[in-house]
Amino acid sequence: MVLVLVLGALVVSAAAAPLFERFLGRNAGWPLAVIFLVLGSAIAWPAPRVLANQPVAFTWPWLPSIDVAFALRLDGLSLLFALLILGVGALIMAYCTRYFGHGARHGTVYLLLTLFAASMLGLVLADDLVLLFVFWELTSVCSFFLIGNAGLAAAQPAKRALLVTAMGGLGLLGAVLLLAVAAGTTRLSVILREFDWAADPAFTTVVLLLLVFAAFTKSAQIPFHFWLPDAMAASTPVSAYLHAATMVKAGIYLLMRFSPEFAEGALWTALLVGTGLATAVVGALLALKQHDLKALLAYSTVSQLGFLTALVGIGTPEALGAAALHTLAHALFKATLFMLVGIIDREAGSRDVRRLDGLWRVMPVTATLTGLAAMSLAGIPPALGFVSKEKIYAAFVDFPGPEWLGWLLGAVAVFAAVLTFAYGFRLLHGAFGGTTVQRRLVEPSWPFRTPAAVAAVLGIVLGIAVSTLSLLVEQIILDTRFMSGDPHLELWPGFSAELAMSALTVVLGLLLFRARAPVDRWLQRRRLPFSGVSVFERCYSAVIRFGGWVGAPTRSLAPSVQMLPIVLVLLALAAVGLWWGVPLAPRAPGTTRIEDWLIVAVLAAAVAAIAATRFRIAAVCLLGVIGFVVAMWFLMLGAPDLALTQLLIEFLTVAVAVLALSRLPALFQPGGRLRTGASAAIALLAGAGATVVAFAFTGRRGPSAVRDYYLSESEEATGGTNVVNTILVDFRALDTLGEITVLAAVAIGVAAFVESTPLLRSALQRELLPRGSPIENAADNAVVIRVFGRLLVPVIIAFSLYLLLRGHNAPGGGFIAALVGGAGLAMVYIASLAPDRRSAAWPSVGLAGAGLAIAVAAGLIGLADGSFLRPFHGELELLGATVKGTTSLIFDVGVYLIVIGVIVSALRRMGSGLSGALAHGGEGVLDGLVIRRSKARPRAPEGGKAGHAERYRNGGGE
Amino acid sequence: MTLALGIGVLVAGGVFLVLQRGLVRITFGFVLLGHAANLLFLAAGGTQRREPPIEGTAALGQMADPLPQAFVLTAIVITFGITIYLLVLAAAGKGDDDTERLP
Repeated sequence: MVLVLVLGALVVSAAAAPLFERFLGRNAGWPLAVIFLVLGSAIAWPAPRVLANQPVAFTWPWLPSIDVAFALRLDGLSLLFALLILGVGALIMAYCTRYFGHGARHGTVYLLLTLFAASMLGLVLADDLVLLFVFWELTSVCSFFLIGNAGLAAAQPAKRALLVTAMGGLGLLGAVLLLAVAAGTTRLSVILREFDWAADPAFTTVVLLLLVFAAFTKSAQIPFHFWLPDAMAASTPVSAYLHAATMVKAGIYLLMRFSPEFAEGALWTALLVGTGLATAVVGALLALKQHDLKALLAYSTVSQLGFLTALVGIGTPEALGAAALHTLAHALFKATLFMLVGIIDREAGSRDVRRLDGLWRVMPVTATLTGLAAMSLAGIPPALGFVSKEKIYAAFVDFPGPEWLGWLLGAVAVFAAVLTFAYGFRLLHGAFGGTTVQRRLVEPSWPFRTPAAVAAVLGIVLGIAVSTLSLLVEQIILDTRFMSGDPHLELWPGFSAELAMSALTVVLGLLLFRARAPVDRWLQRRRLPFSGVSVFERCYSAVIRFGGWVGAPTRSLAPSVQMLPIVLVLLALAAVGLWWGVPLAPRAPGTTRIEDWLIVAVLAAAVAAIAATRFRIAAVCLLGVIGFVVAMWFLMLGAPDLALTQLLIEFLTVAVAVLALSRLPALFQPGGRLRTGASAAIALLAGAGATVVAFAFTGRRGPSAVRDYYLSESEEATGGTNVVNTILVDFRALDTLGEITVLAAVAIGVAAFVESTPLLRSALQRELLPRGSPIENAADNAVVIRVFGRLLVPVIIAFSLYLLLRGHNAPGGGFIAALVGGAGLAMVYIASLAPDRRSAAWPSVGLAGAGLAIAVAAGLIGLADGSFLRPFHGELELLGATVKGTTSLIFDVGVYLIVIGVIVSALRRMGSGLSGALAHGGEGVLDGLVIRRSKARPRAPEGGKAGHAERYRNGGGE
Repeated sequence: MTLALGIGVLVAGGVFLVLQRGLVRITFGFVLLGHAANLLFLAAGGTQRREPPIEGTAALGQMADPLPQAFVLTAIVITFGITIYLLVLAAAGKGDDDTERLP
């Protein structure tokens, strides 16, 4: 329980951090530091139990259906990391209060730092693989924002850091998924103890490689090391906390966590020891040639992470103990050094060793603290770093393999440590040694120094009292190898091989330091022909280019270019299917009836005509014909609701199309012979393919079980007999809710679109009618429909309401009723003399919104019975008559309003602008269709467009 | 057989129209493809049983499958919504609906 409380408290503190910052400014770090300390003590509270090999665990079901739990577990290894995260975190928070300047806002940084601490703590406490992965990614994300927060120059480094660590995150995800599937559980402690890793060596190897990949990216091992020095673009507290003490150790943590399984495998050892030592040497060499102190520290971190990786690779209990100890030592001295470099940077205005000199005279305390931390870094007694380095040497010498290999590895380790010693002194000497140039500098204020001082002194005190750590290290050995081992933690273990190696390190290190001038010259001349960053950038832009190449065919604005690949791919799929062949059941008898052929014949004629016609108005009429024929077919297939819907839709489509057409040329654009031929060929192929596929895959089975269920249960379950409508508003009401939401979006979309792009009044005038023709005057011609409309519309509306009410038991329902009502409205609208004035009061978007709200509300009623959209139905005795009622009727009212809203929206928007002329010349909307009033003054068509229009009118020959 | 043919005819017409330049024609092609898809749904339900699925009006064994009908009913209305949206787009151009001649 304490674990989840601590984690929760951190998240809450993160949320509160901006609030602290609002009231306290940069001093917001103080309360946060106190919170970190308190939470650290809380985590340390169960330490006696944990160190007695009784881990604290917490489990809370998270995704029970896939057996993923919010499981936390605190064992020795987690305890070490948790204390580091909260302890170093507290120091960093205190440090932030003085590192940050006045004036600027720091709420975001405080929030992100605290959030990062929570993620990192979750990562080391997680006992569930999925949870571990989530926290792993969260740390990457926090790191991205914390780096990027440092300004424009940090944008690219932040991106690179994120991409590299997220790439590793994908590897971790792969490993997590494989393990979860193979082990049947995501519980980490169970998998580590009970999963049979030896059963499938190939599987184990894949998981191992994925885990190692994830760890190497996160912990900046070669060849992924470049992101870490790059990430130094972040502010110093961020670098000290994330990129030195904690986040980059996540990879080490992962490797240690999985050590029980892999430690004795040759591949694991070879990969980790090889890469780790290479990283240690290369990192140290690169650190030695840096002039920027922060860059020096960054490469130093890379190098030290290499040491840790190699130690985990060795895999003996002693090596893992050494890794644990060195993790602690490194976090302490590296965080200290970063904080001190930050102080130097702030006080002296530079981090470049070539510009800093003799600071020890003006900043003796800072110089002393740096000296203490550097002692730990270089491995000089009595610092903790000395003890951990001894243990590292011992682990290499005792390498579980041929003796010569152990000595060889030991020699490499000594070499890296000599370089470490040299750059540690280079740092110290570069900043503080020599003659004092900036004489007017003073020590920083004590709050600025204290966090660094605590860590520096702790590094020495823990070195002297190193035996106090024995219990913790012993427990970590037990946790990481499932076997006990004695770490022999003493400051003075007596004369031994490792002591000799330490002495050799110091002597060689001093020599290398003395020869710093020639060494520096030599190093500066050596340059790799490529840098990690440039290689990364080249890969990155190559990926972007590849994506552009892949996406190029879809980047056209022309719809036909977008359609063509879809059609071709479908055709190819159909061709493959045909060639492959699928065994088919025999066709059921009676699927075809003689009257169907009549429909097919009419359909074929109409489709051929609509493809061939050049006249827009003819195409609209043919579209209506096709719709009616399809509606007829629906009726013949036993779908009266569909037939009704389709018929009404045809009315409305034609109404809207006519309005649209009034703004467009009378003729379609000429297609060109090539386009017409090619699209005809593709169309015929597609039609043939569709026929074959439809023939092959339909009409070959009996009634489905779900059909029988609906047909037999509908009345019982919903009180309605019209099964199609009960499916829409009762059984599958959630689907319908989704669909009417789309319709509401259409209503709003049409409204928004038209309002943002002023529809122009049609500039094209049609001279298709002879002057003086009796049908020239639209207003007069529409008088019949107008008069009848006035009489009919109330009837139509009443009829539509009747259809709405009876929908549950007979053809009707919300969709159909609204379409009938909408048809009535369309009639009024088209015939009306001043559509704008009449329709201005029709609140289309409001109707759609109200409909959606009512539908959702009807669904919420169902919650009373335990399920969204579950309908209630029952009978009511009203005035002696029995009235059947159901809440799905309310839902249907919502559907009704939305569909009405869409229709009104379309009519009103399409008509707007057209009616402007009515006031002047008495033109109706019908004018737009075919007729031109010559006395109305048409706006003169503009130059080029007129020519364009002229072409169409005259047949458009090109 | 007849439904398969009808679907094929509609798909052919629809594909031809969506490959044209004008947005109105593309829209109409889209409508035809919508018809084809709706008929395919009904065909999948089986066309040997053709009585309306309204309880008490016919023998259960003769009733058509109501589930594809429910799908198609909403599909018709959705197609209508998209159709009018496309028509608004077509009409919004400066007196033309050519999709390949940018202003």
